[in-house]
Amino acid sequence: MISIDANTILALLPPAGVALLALLVVVVDIAWPGRDRLLVVVGVGGLAILIAVVVIVGPLPGIGLLAGAQEVFGGAYVADSLTVLLDLTLMAIALLTILFGPDYLRPRGLPTAEFAAMLLFAITGGMLIAGARDLLLLFLALELLVLPGYLLAGYAKRDGLSTEGAIKYFLLGSFSSAIFLFGLVLTFGYTGTTNIREVAASVSTLVGTNGLTSLPPALLMGLALLTTGAAFKIAAVPFHYWTPDAYQGSPTPVTGYLSVGPKVAAFALILRLFVDALGSVKADWTPFIVILAAVTMTLGNLVALSQDNIKRMLAYSSIAHTGYILVGLAAFGAAPVGSAAEQNGLQAVLFYSVAYSFMNLGAFAVVAALQRRPGVTSQIATFAGLGRRAPLLAALMLLFLLSLTGIPPLAGFWAKWYVIQAALQVGGWLTLLAVLTVLNAAAAAFYYLRIAVYMYMRDPAEGAPPVTLGGQTRLGLALAAIGTIAIGLIPPVTIAVIAMAQSAAQALL
Amino acid sequence: MTQLVSGLPILTLITFTPLVGAILIAFLPKERLNWIRWAALGTALVAWVFSLLLLTAFDPGQSGFQFGEVADWVPTFGIQYKLGVDGISLALVVLTTTLTWISILASFAPIKERVKEYMIAFLILEVGMTGVFLAMDMFLFYIFWELVLIPMYLIIGIWGGANRIYATIKFVLYTLVGSLLMLVAILAMAYTYQANTGTWVGAFDYQKLVEFGFDPTLQFFAFAGFFLAFAIKVPMFPFHTWLPDAHVEAPTAGSVILAGVLLKLGGYGLIRFAVPLFPQAAHDWAPLIIVLSLIGIVYGAIVALVQPDLKKLVAYSSVSHMGFVTLGIFIFTEQGLHGALLQMIAHGILTGGLFLMVGVIYERTHDRTIAKMGGLAGVLPVYAAVFGFFVLGSLGLPGLAGFVGEFVTIVGAFDFYPWVAAVAALAMMLGAAYLLFMYQRVIFGDLSDFLKGIGHHLTDMTRTEVVTLAPLIVLAIGFGVFPGLLLQLWQGPVNDFLAHVVPGALALK
Repeated sequence: MISIDANTILALLPPAGVALLALLVVVVDIAWPGRDRLLVVVGVGGLAILIAVVVIVGPLPGIGLLAGAQEVFGGAYVADSLTVLLDLTLMAIALLTILFGPDYLRPRGLPTAEFAAMLLFAITGGMLIAGARDLLLLFLALELLVLPGYLLAGYAKRDGLSTEGAIKYFLLGSFSSAIFLFGLVLTFGYTGTTNIREVAASVSTLVGTNGLTSLPPALLMGLALLTTGAAFKIAAVPFHYWTPDAYQGSPTPVTGYLSVGPKVAAFALILRLFVDALGSVKADWTPFIVILAAVTMTLGNLVALSQDNIKRMLAYSSIAHTGYILVGLAAFGAAPVGSAAEQNGLQAVLFYSVAYSFMNLGAFAVVAALQRRPGVTSQIATFAGLGRRAPLLAALMLLFLLSLTGIPPLAGFWAKWYVIQAALQVGGWLTLLAVLTVLNAAAAAFYYLRIAVYMYMRDPAEGAPPVTLGGQTRLGLALAAIGTIAIGLIPPVTIAVIAMAQSAAQALL
Repeated sequence: MTQLVSGLPILTLITFTPLVGAILIAFLPKERLNWIRWAALGTALVAWVFSLLLLTAFDPGQSGFQFGEVADWVPTFGIQYKLGVDGISLALVVLTTTLTWISILASFAPIKERVKEYMIAFLILEVGMTGVFLAMDMFLFYIFWELVLIPMYLIIGIWGGANRIYATIKFVLYTLVGSLLMLVAILAMAYTYQANTGTWVGAFDYQKLVEFGFDPTLQFFAFAGFFLAFAIKVPMFPFHTWLPDAHVEAPTAGSVILAGVLLKLGGYGLIRFAVPLFPQAAHDWAPLIIVLSLIGIVYGAIVALVQPDLKKLVAYSSVSHMGFVTLGIFIFTEQGLHGALLQMIAHGILTGGLFLMVGVIYERTHDRTIAKMGGLAGVLPVYAAVFGFFVLGSLGLPGLAGFVGEFVTIVGAFDFYPWVAAVAALAMMLGAAYLLFMYQRVIFGDLSDFLKGIGHHLTDMTRTEVVTLAPLIVLAIGFGVFPGLLLQLWQGPVNDFLAHVVPGALALK
């Protein structure tokens, strides 16, 4: 019998709230059909309230009703500072995506209600991953995250590219989920428990003092399958093949969401699984993470260099960013157990995820805003002369691109700074990884700046239609821009995000 | 004067006045070209007046940094907003503020398109340049360093010549590779400091780091990172290839700032950071750097000899002249360093002037090909005279600023390595050759057919053009006759620098 007390309710409030909000959106649509603006108000307002609720409930350091980590359902779900940070990030992603969506969907005759509802369900899945401390819950939450994602990718169902992308995404996604599940099963088989803390204890007993060779082969196999499954979800090379097609085909606001939402959630999964459950065998998986990081960022950037379709370019760029985030994880893995560097690596992963969410969503939102008029392609030439046609929009795009490049003092710079610093703190091979990271950042500057070249240094095409922005898009762009600037430039905000990442990392260790 | 300045955060005022101006200009209507132009010039003049105030209040007799300002920025990592000024940075700050208003004034006529964006970019550029010279925190320094990049990228890319996109991307990528590796070095240094002292406090503080004394391995690699960033900026052979492209494509004022200030950032970085922070490594690398400097001096001069384009000729002469700067620094003698600093100031004044002169003729003919010119002395007497002044100054005529820098450097080198001095002196003769050969072809002889075709558009210098050049002429004569003014200003920091290195004790002999 599970006892339900006030703390249990408080701990479950964030994911439950978002799920209820998704239902509310559906109900509102049934009651007042076709009222898009009302739906946006409900969705965005609800999320804003829930963000405030999460901040108040906590447990953030210093504030919050929950004093510390709150376990519920016999330890299957936990509300700790990691959950809070990821909840806030995911809800901010959902809020921005709901703002960007309607202006793009409406001219194409696509409904807003289902879009918002599915998005909110997906986010619920992500938030459950963030708090999952049980392998079963972890898998269920993962499926709740990705299933609406498949639907969203194929949302423009009369568009061939959208359908093609969705099918690829679905097939590879299900495939990787199955691989992941098989890994979970093997892990369960050897440890006899699905509770992550107990798995961790069991694994560290199995490892004992003899090191990895003492692990049973099947458990190693399970570890390999889990790594592969997770690598698919974050789109790490060589498990990235679904990304460009899914990103190019999806309606642009969906692409924006896919490039950040599932990625942040998948990193939450990695943190819960690899750090929490399999931390004691980290010496075993770290070499793979180091190689994954190096290959992912390098290949992502190199292929992005030659893309002429902006959505594909940003897709490959998001692969590269996965690589950068993995550097943080590699720093955690390579650092001695219990050292400051270990925590620093985790902080880098979290900080990067937060900063990346704002700037990447912003960049996709500009693409979506340009494509408000159906028929506008996502070729890079669409950006020609944008500096003259829509100076403000071009300036925002430049801001997001500079942040993605890692130019100080924007959010993206701090993110790169954080992973490089974490890698350097470990030293050794990780120093080389840090150098590779900055060389990649320099290479990435080429294709980011190529967009800037089109915007500012080329003339607009003959008869290019005027660019008009919807009110919701404006608000969303403003929020994304504020996030990108504030995290980088306004010290209290930077410090707050660092402090949150710190306490989240401490919660994991 | 001192009382007037002492209560003010004068360094912040100098640095951020242009930013305030840029923000104001952003709100001016873009059709009001004259408002925008005068607002920009006014802002630059205000910053200039602030810098002159600082000059009068500055006490050269006092050692260390003056007018320090410090505030915590990100205490978690010991990052501070910390500014300070000594004789070296003061001279370069005044050079920057002077050249900025001259450049803005010189842009009034040539820049007719997108004037608003141009002036904003220029003022932000000034913020970055001034900040680099005043920052006393490595992190802050890096931010200003990168801040310089973006406005210059836009200035070359938007308002540049036919091949501007190639040139500007090359400029950005070269600079970015160098600066990102420097970032790795900065972080490695901060981490080492933190690991040894157990605290982040001071890990980015230049004054603390200088006293720290890093181990030889770290010094070797960190110096390499810093050196690459600065060597690209100077630019040293063989990292110079971006410079001719950037100069040729940049608008006149862009070239003036590029040659006058941006190249000095590299020299300043070597003197302020690379050598004092890593004296042992600087010592080990010095032979290579001296050889590269000599190659740069001779190579730049030889290549300049055969350039068909006026701007390209001046660009290669910069490579040659800046070779004296790196040579002077790395022979580690008092005269050498004085010479390097004098050369930096003189090159800023004289090459800035030469680019303005090329700009004047380009405004009238829209061509810079030397072969098409000829006989300008007859039609443009004032132009011929002023051009002659800068040519003579640049080739090192005694009595003008250019002579002192090169002469003192050579004297400094002679004490230790006569053969180095001999090679450098040979290059001075080459300098006379390419400049006089060019002057002769452009100014003397009969008026060329091409120029006859220009007809009545070929007018002598306007009053604005004279106003932009007059201060440079005054400074070139002033510092040529009284170099002691400058030597006295930076004697203190020069002594500090020499206290960090072993004078002339190189394994070259």
